Amino acid sequence: MFRTQIHPRPDSLSLPGSGGLGRAALTTTVGFAVYGFTVGYWRSPVMGAYVALKMPLLIACTLGCNGVLNGLLGMLLGSNLGFRQSLHALLSAFAISALILGSLAPVTFFLAWNAPPPDSPQAASAHAAYLLTHTALIAIAGLIGVLRLGELLRRHCRSRVIARSTVTAWVAGNAFLGAQFSWILRPFFGSPRLDVAFLRDDPMKGSFYEAVFRSLRHTLGGTDRIAIAVGILGLSLTAFILIRQLQTQSIKHKTP
Amino acid sequence: MTDPTSTPPALPETDHPTSLPDALSLRDFFEALLRRPTDLARHEGGNGAAALRNFGIIAATSMFVFGLVLGTFAYHEQLWAAPLKLGGGLIFAGLICFPSFYIFSCLSGSDASANHLAATLGGMLALAGLLLLGFAPAVWIFTQGTLSFGFMGALAIGSWLIALFFGFRFVITSLKAHGARQTGPILIWCTIFLLVSLQLTTSLRPILGRSERFLTDEKKFFLQHWAESMDQLLPNPDDNTETANSKSW
Repeated sequence: MFRTQIHPRPDSLSLPGSGGLGRAALTTTVGFAVYGFTVGYWRSPVMGAYVALKMPLLIACTLGCNGVLNGLLGMLLGSNLGFRQSLHALLSAFAISALILGSLAPVTFFLAWNAPPPDSPQAASAHAAYLLTHTALIAIAGLIGVLRLGELLRRHCRSRVIARSTVTAWVAGNAFLGAQFSWILRPFFGSPRLDVAFLRDDPMKGSFYEAVFRSLRHTLGGTDRIAIAVGILGLSLTAFILIRQLQTQSIKHKTP
Repeated sequence: MTDPTSTPPALPETDHPTSLPDALSLRDFFEALLRRPTDLARHEGGNGAAALRNFGIIAATSMFVFGLVLGTFAYHEQLWAAPLKLGGGLIFAGLICFPSFYIFSCLSGSDASANHLAATLGGMLALAGLLLLGFAPAVWIFTQGTLSFGFMGALAIGSWLIALFFGFRFVITSLKAHGARQTGPILIWCTIFLLVSLQLTTSLRPILGRSERFLTDEKKFFLQHWAESMDQLLPNPDDNTETANSKSW
């Protein structure tokens, strides 16, 4: 079962009613829930239970909210994938990441079990190391999931360019919204100084990006202008990429 | 005798061996707009009044929903004002840009009629509207979280830029299907339309924030307005003290 999820058949997205979508959803839920438990466990077992619920919820919220956009982008970029197939492809990628993280859960549980407890004098350094380890593991699992998604789409799409642009658009959209959902659903790691809670008070208040901006401003010594310049640079880069894409599209359609 | 130089260029291949039905329903337009823009551009029914009507319905509905989502940032009068301004603003932008669209399409070598160009413009707005509809749930999440005009403005404009990118792509595909040989003039027109739509964010303000007036008569260039409003915040609903800085958006 796991093997077919790690190496999905090339026609897996085209087979209606094969149960692939349900299996991918189940694997994603279970994998992230098991791993999530080990993430929160260091703070307290209750926190572990909360994170076991919140990690699959984070994926569900992101894919649910971006479902229409992912489907539209899939069609517009020429991948020939409908709404259901786009969801299936993305869930397959998440399922691979979930399998990797789920398989690492015993290791991370061991890590949590052996780390200095949150009420110890070394709690701050333990929390930092714990945060760093999990961030690295999630990044690796996410990267492998994205690469597998790219392979799956390459086999399904007419050309590599279409597959690449579809994956890029999906990843950008889902990462952008996923970051905000991770902000809304915080805490995940559980700061040693704060009480264990399912959600922080007023979870919808603020945004992930404003928090990043504040940190950036703080790092740059409170200079707004530099932080805004970094933002404008990012927007300009996005506009440049879009214009280049538009020009490439025009050249591609140019007839001999 | 046919002049070989006047033959329209070949169209890009599509994955759909079957042709579109003769009579296109709203659903067919929706489907073809997303999956088969080239076929739609060549289709007889994709050029006439029916096409313009269907595209108009799709565009208006999408813009209304997206406007409603933006209106939930400030609530109150913006729940009706923002959808109205977005929908009305785009119709206005389409109308004032249509004459230049016709001229620039001729410059590109296209032989498309005014009817077809109107349908193409409608298709561009409908496609952009559909994309905005896709962005709407994500944008709504942020309207509920942030109070920053700068952030919300950047998010809404970013969504609009991406949506318009696909709209412009539809315009290029459609005009190429009607004999356009040069993309330069089309890209110039696209830039003009983009600038008009961005200026409307300032001319129709406030779209995000609250104001006692529906529109402002203060003239301003959009870049200046954005720079001035970047660091301003919507007054907190729990805080009854209205600040002047909310009135400019």
